[in-house]
Order: sequence, then C-alpha cells, then structure tokens
Amino acid sequence: MRIPRGELRRSRVVDDAAAVLRAVLDEELTGYVVFEPQDALLLGETTRGVVTFEDGIPVLAYDTEREVGGRDGLEGFAVTGPTRAAVHAVDAAALADAHEVEAFRIPPGEPARVLAGDERLAEQTVDAAPAARREEGRDQSAVEAFLDDTDAIEEIRSEAREEARARASEWGLDDVLADDAGDSAAIEPGTDSR
Amino acid sequence: MVEAFAVASGKGGTGKTTSTLALGMALAEDYDVTVIDADTGMANLLFHAGLDDADVTLHDLLVDERDAAVSDAVYERFGMSVVPCGTSLAAFEAADPGRLRDVVAELAADTDVLLLDSPAALGSKSAVLPVVLADRIVVVLQPTVPSLSDGLKVQEYAHSYGTDTAGVVFNRVQPDENVDRIAEQAGRYFGGQTLASVPESDAVRAARREGKPLLAHAPDDPAADAFREAAARLDVRDGDGRDVAERFKSAVVPERI
Ligand SMILES: Nc1ncnc2c1ncn2[C@@H]1O[C@H](COP(=O)(O)OP(=O)(O)O)[C@@H](O)[C@H]1O
Ligand SMILES: [Mg+2]
Repeated sequence: MRIPRGELRRSRVVDDAAAVLRAVLDEELTGYVVFEPQDALLLGETTRGVVTFEDGIPVLAYDTEREVGGRDGLEGFAVTGPTRAAVHAVDAAALADAHEVEAFRIPPGEPARVLAGDERLAEQTVDAAPAARREEGRDQSAVEAFLDDTDAIEEIRSEAREEARARASEWGLDDVLADDAGDSAAIEPGTDSR
Repeated sequence: MVEAFAVASGKGGTGKTTSTLALGMALAEDYDVTVIDADTGMANLLFHAGLDDADVTLHDLLVDERDAAVSDAVYERFGMSVVPCGTSLAAFEAADPGRLRDVVAELAADTDVLLLDSPAALGSKSAVLPVVLADRIVVVLQPTVPSLSDGLKVQEYAHSYGTDTAGVVFNRVQPDENVDRIAEQAGRYFGGQTLASVPESDAVRAARREGKPLLAHAPDDPAADAFREAAARLDVRDGDGRDVAERFKSAVVPERI
C-alpha cells in the first residue's frame, strides 16, 4: 500500500478517536490520519494504522504493522485508550490510485463504529457521504461467498462462544450460562434452520 | 406475561430501534406490548417515539436510591407501553445495570410481550444483560458481511445464556438486492425463521425525524408492511408466566458495569 506523503496538519494524543473523525468530517479533509494507540507502545509493541479520507468521508483503512487492509485492517488498530492521531492533507488526485485498491476500502461509517464505537457519528458520516458511497459494502456475491464458507463461519461462532463464556466469568454471569450452551450452539449447518 | 424478546444485532445502525417500535406496534394489535430502551449507554428510542422530553426514564429506575416508581417511566404511546431511556452520560454512569432485571421483572408482570431494544455492543455486562434476560432474540441484520458476522456473534452470546433465536429480520434491503438466497444461506446458521426483508425506505428516516414509529408515520409504506409480516411470523409463545419471573429472579445481578 502506498499513500503519498501529505502535509502534516496536526499530531496529538487524543482519548477518543471519535473527536478526530468528527473534526476531519467537519473540515472535509482529503488526506489521511495515522492512528497510533499509545497503550500498545507501553507494552513495547507498535500498533499503527491509516485511514484515508475524501472530503471528510473515510475511504480506506490499512494496518501498517500487520499489513492488512479493509475492515480487518481497521480492527487491528482499534485499541481502546489514548491514541496519537496525525492528520495529513493530500491532493485528491494524488490519492486516487491508492483509493482504487478495492480490498482496502471500507464503508464510510466503519471507522467511527470500529475505532470509536460511536454509532451516531457513524450515522452522520454515512448521511454526509455521497450516494454511491452509502451503498458500499453491499456486494451480494461477497455476502453469498461468506455464507458459503462454513468453516470460516464455524470459526466465528466458536470464537464468539468462547468469548461469551470467558466474559461471563469476568462479569459474574456464570450462573446464568446455559448448561448445554456448548452443545446447542454447536449445531451443524443445516440442522439449525426452520 | 407471555414472552420477552431482545431485539439485537451486535453492532449499531442496523435498525434495532426502528424494528423494536415497528414490531411493537404490529404486535400491539393482538397483545399488550411493552417496549423498553435497554440500550442504556446509547439510548435513542426516545427520539423515535416522540419522548425527547420524557421526565422520568429508565435511567431514573436504575440508580441506587431511586424515588421514581417503575410506572413513572412508562408512557402510553402508539398503543404500546414505552419505557424510554435518557441520553445523559452522567446518568448512564450513575446507573446500576443490574437493576435492569428488577425493572424488567416488574414490567413483565403486567404485559404480554416485552421488547428490549438492545445495545449495539457485547463488551460489558450492561450490554449483554438484555440478551441474558430475554426468552428469545430477534436478530436485525443488513445483508452485508460485517452485519452478518456481528449477528452470528450476538447469537452465540445469546445461546450461551440459553436465549434462543426467534428469527431474523433483514433490514435496509436495497431495491436491486435479492435477499432470498442470502436468507436461505443464513438460515443454516441462524435459528428461528426469516421474519421479513424490510426495504430501505425514505419513510423510515422521515418517521424518525417526526419522532414517530414507522407504523404510525407511514402505515402504508412497504417497509411497514414488511414489519407487520415479521410480527405475524413471530410465533409468540404462550410461556408460563411464572417461569419467566423465576428466571428474572435467578439471573445473577452484576454489581457494576
Ligand atoms: N429500512 C430502513 N430504511 C431506511 N433507513 C432506515 C431503515 N431502518 C433504519 N433506518 C435508519 O438507519 C438509522 C439507524 O436505525 P436505528 O433503528 O436507530 O438503528 P439501531 O437502533 O440498530 O442503531 C436511522 O437513521 C434509521 O432511520
Ligand atoms: Mg438504537
């Protein structure tokens, strides 16, 4: 992934990625923001990702450390706690090539949702986006392919199951876990439908 | 009390609040319906139901030494009993999510169908509690990969707590999308049935701006028809009222978020 180096507008540590995304939306930035979660640094790890923007609307996301783009990339640097956000402006024309990389594109509301958990901001961002962008992330064949991949889906489910059980203990909700949760949730595809 | 449903999706913006009120209004034709904004951290049902200036809300029922009665937070609107939640962050922080169980138990005693508009997250006790308390979930999905993936997660959480899936609503379906095939594939993983495919509709946004549920603002809109169809498919179970009350009692009360 190559993003043309832009002009640094500002760089500061913020508690909440939403504030940065909102500012960028307001000023209709064309360029990119580098996010660097600070807690990871303390642990001696580097977590860093880039979100690019066109007129304030997020276009693509890329995890520069793991070299993963798109929504998966975004999740790589969605770390709670303070994050350094460096806002850069770039010419729209200079960004055009990078923005062609379909696999790294994200629906406009995703950064607000994933990085900041801010549903209202996500909604505002989608509302402010051009009509064509609002329909993005809706590739029917991709959805069908996803649903056809039973192994991948079983992995999502079993991960969620484990997470649910681990968190239940964390939250003292052990007692209300279903005894047979493991079984009932592990229904094979095909037997769980109507 | 017949049954409590959590309207859930894992992530926000899929149309949980819209669906909660639409299903609520449709079910209110046949049942006594109570709708609760259990999304206590990011409440917005009040805006959808014209209750922006509600004096007493769920937040007032979740504080330690509350002086409000549960009934003070119940508003009769659009043929349903609506329990809105406030939007103040301070009130959210002062609220003890564990008290939701008692409030829900009290409301359950007096109604047929409870609909819990659930949070768009799974990362805290307060966020999963509605799914823990409900008998079944209604999963609201958009026909996209992230939404389906989040829906699968919330379903696993629900199943872990013994909460089954009543069905799936596909919402915000674009005119050129055919969700039949997706619904058929998704049916292999989601429990219950496909309840409806609700089209993307300007009437839904307009309704929200008006502060009215869709079925009150535009009852003849195709999206409203779809929600009525979903409600009709929802086989509300004649559960044992005592069972529910028991479960609410035995649900361990988490102390704080
Ligand atoms: N079928 C639909 N057509 C058009 N807009 C919709 C539809 N369903 C929901 N919306 C809009 O999407 C946004 C999110 O809906 P909402 O019900 O608040 O979702 P959630 O409660 O899951 O966050 C709102 O602006 C709402 O008006
Ligand atoms: Mg909502």
